[in-house]
Amino acid sequence: MRVTILRRTLVVAALAVLIAYPIVSNDLYYQNLLILTFMLAIGASGWNIMGGYAGYISLGNSVFIGLGAYTTGILAAKHGVSPFLGCLVGGLVCAIAAALLSLVTRRTRGMYFVIVTFAVLQLLALVTTTWSSLTGGSPGLALPLPTWSLDYQNWPFYYPLLGLLVLTVAVSALVRRSKLGLGLFAIQDDEDKATGLGLRTAVYKMIAFVLGGTFIGIAGGIYAYYVTFLNTGAVFDIVASVLMVLAALLGGRGTVWGPVVGAFILEPLANFTSTGIGGANSGAIRLLIFGGLLLAVVLFLPRGVLPTATSLWQRAMARRSRPSPDEGAGPAQRSSASISVSPRGSDVDGGGRVLEVHDVVKTFGGLHAVDGVDLAVERGSITGLIGPNGSGKTTLFNLIDGTVAARSGHIALGGKRIDRSGRATRAHAGLARTYQLPRLFPSLTVIENIVLPERRLSFTRLWRKRVTSPERQRAIAVLESLGLANFADTSPADLSYGQRKLVELAQALWLDPALIMLDEPAAGISPALSQRLADLIRSLHSQGVGILLVEHDLAFLSSLCQHVYVMANGKIIANGSVAEVSADRAVVDAYLGDDVALAPAEVHA
Amino acid sequence: MTELLQTLIFGALIGGVYALMATGLTLTFGVMKIVNMTQGALLVLSAYLCYSLWVHFGIDPILGAFLITAPMGLLGVALYKLVIERVQRIDHGLTIVATFALAMIAEGLIALAWGPNTRATTPPYFNRSFRIGSLVVPQAQLYACLLAIGVTVVLQLVIKRSWLGYAITAASENPEGARLVGVEPVRVGAWIFAISVASTAFGGAALSFLFQFVPDSQDVWIGLTLSVVILGGLGSLAGAFAAGLLLGVAEAMTTTYVSVRWATAVPTLMILIVLTIRPQGLFTRATRQDLAT
Repeated sequence: MRVTILRRTLVVAALAVLIAYPIVSNDLYYQNLLILTFMLAIGASGWNIMGGYAGYISLGNSVFIGLGAYTTGILAAKHGVSPFLGCLVGGLVCAIAAALLSLVTRRTRGMYFVIVTFAVLQLLALVTTTWSSLTGGSPGLALPLPTWSLDYQNWPFYYPLLGLLVLTVAVSALVRRSKLGLGLFAIQDDEDKATGLGLRTAVYKMIAFVLGGTFIGIAGGIYAYYVTFLNTGAVFDIVASVLMVLAALLGGRGTVWGPVVGAFILEPLANFTSTGIGGANSGAIRLLIFGGLLLAVVLFLPRGVLPTATSLWQRAMARRSRPSPDEGAGPAQRSSASISVSPRGSDVDGGGRVLEVHDVVKTFGGLHAVDGVDLAVERGSITGLIGPNGSGKTTLFNLIDGTVAARSGHIALGGKRIDRSGRATRAHAGLARTYQLPRLFPSLTVIENIVLPERRLSFTRLWRKRVTSPERQRAIAVLESLGLANFADTSPADLSYGQRKLVELAQALWLDPALIMLDEPAAGISPALSQRLADLIRSLHSQGVGILLVEHDLAFLSSLCQHVYVMANGKIIANGSVAEVSADRAVVDAYLGDDVALAPAEVHA
Repeated sequence: MTELLQTLIFGALIGGVYALMATGLTLTFGVMKIVNMTQGALLVLSAYLCYSLWVHFGIDPILGAFLITAPMGLLGVALYKLVIERVQRIDHGLTIVATFALAMIAEGLIALAWGPNTRATTPPYFNRSFRIGSLVVPQAQLYACLLAIGVTVVLQLVIKRSWLGYAITAASENPEGARLVGVEPVRVGAWIFAISVASTAFGGAALSFLFQFVPDSQDVWIGLTLSVVILGGLGSLAGAFAAGLLLGVAEAMTTTYVSVRWATAVPTLMILIVLTIRPQGLFTRATRQDLAT
């Protein structure tokens, strides 16, 4: 709490000083310095929404300065459009460009985005130089001089940029606090899993990139008027891009204020090096300074100034109160664990199959990982799937939830084919899963993890609080029934392995799935937790959720499952009750490793 | 017809050189999933070293390349041990930022050492050509392309046939498993960087007599080598060679039939198109990705 108060006081004081400064002083050197600092702070904050929250690093964000500046400049120089309108058009152009660029992230991750942004910067610099009829080419583009009185000095640039900075930071803070921000941090932690929880990550990333790009674009437009002369090298500048990244990293990537703090440290330094160092070598020395600084930040201060300072301050002021990590189960409030779920589609028709898999094939090179599997889960039943390690169970799960695409075959959920749908769509249709090793999002708290799943995409929902109060109530009830209420606001890293498995299950159930696939839920957890898990599965069953369960523990399985499938070498070799399949000769052979290849032919006879 | 054939020859020869320039990046990208943004700076550094050997001692740049491979290899090891390996432990996603920072530092140092003027080496063959009928085969391009083929074949043999190659493949596919059988991924990483940076010496030598260069040429060359690697797919040397050829031909065609000014846009355009449509590259098949997670 104390950090918050301190921060608020500092921010208000700093803002008051910045607003008053041009009125009390007419020192143009410092006004210019502040204007450039605002530019960098807007750039770094804009970068941070994509780079800091979602973890998609862009090395080409000065593209937006260039696009914004040239749009405004061309409109003003050739069409006499007012600069105030021109800046906004520039922002719009940048928004469109950012939306298009973010399409690349639909199919690629991480480092490819860096490369793409880098390439776009080079490409646009080249285009503006070459397309000289529009842009003035390499000689540059002169803007009409502002028409306002010189008595205003730099005010017409200073205050709009300050206002834009406040707006950028406000939006960045809003994003960080909203479900949009929650999703972006989840994308940074584990995008693959986030998609499986129904998040349309492409939309999240597009919004993040567009927001950042728009603000930087508007700033670029104002900047064009400020410098009144544009050339390619000055605006499509890789060093300016790097400075944005450096400011954000230096101040604290992923925080609201870090990029601003970073800019206020960096720009005076940058300005000093460009004015203080002269001579033929000044360019080289600047490269050494900023390259060296960037490398030093990555190596020695990867979290940034602000988070490091905050944690030092907090450690100095008070010890944070944390619940003592209960080993194992922890006290359960109710006699048996239960989570209330309203499985989707259950009201449509009572019976039938919730999942149908027909003749599904997946090959990796020459290996037939899943080789013509047929499998069905009756609505509201518990169906088991067993088989030796490497028999293709997890791959089958991955095919059903869309992590990997099947080569051929049909998969239907509640009677509708899903095998051509994306992962988020399958989650929206009522499919959920847990993983063999739990994959919770370390940047989110336990309760944020639970409420993250998205049953459908809604743009109004994205702007709500990370955890709304009805959600909090419901999630706390869930955690109470799991005996984990004390951990609601801690990091998942504070949980034991078994507790993480329970939380992941609760997270998957937040989707109200019609079918949930559990990959070895009882493996490696204590008997007490395993008992609680069995209770939970039974309660889900009684509420009509279809369950497909991979498990090696036959006792655990036989206490739960009506029907069991046995897989070996990518094929289903037997199915029936636990008693039936364990008496099956082929199943015994598969587990003991005897002539597996010969066995399947005899089974279905 | 002659014009087309001539364009194809120019394109193919220069394409081979592009592949050669990208071999280092191909290796680190393919094997270690590291985008080494210093590739451009290392190429330019090699070109300057060849230039100095040429100007002061009259050493032919191709011979010069052999002389500087060993120091460049050591530089690669230092790069890996001092920076990359540490950054990987902090946050793998930041390696690209860290190497970019190194590229800036390298550009600054090169500018301090050699100054801002345009340089090039001028061995006797740099402006001579063979003539086949009405077709022209420039000697410099031809020798550089042969050098490219040689380096690619040798590296391919090292990776497919030698123990080191097995270790590299093993460590890249399954670091934990490799460690269990006594292959230490960190040592393999140092070897990969040694080979990768050493091979860059040859690309730099070719650069020195085919193009003019200044310290900030590295920007252009990192863009170009990145596009070779992305086009080729996840770091296969053969794929990169094919990608280099394609890129060279595309550039030559643009120069002949559109405008020389737009030719430089070809590599970056290719990056965008490929990553949007076929991110695994043009010359690879999708492989199993779920093992890593």
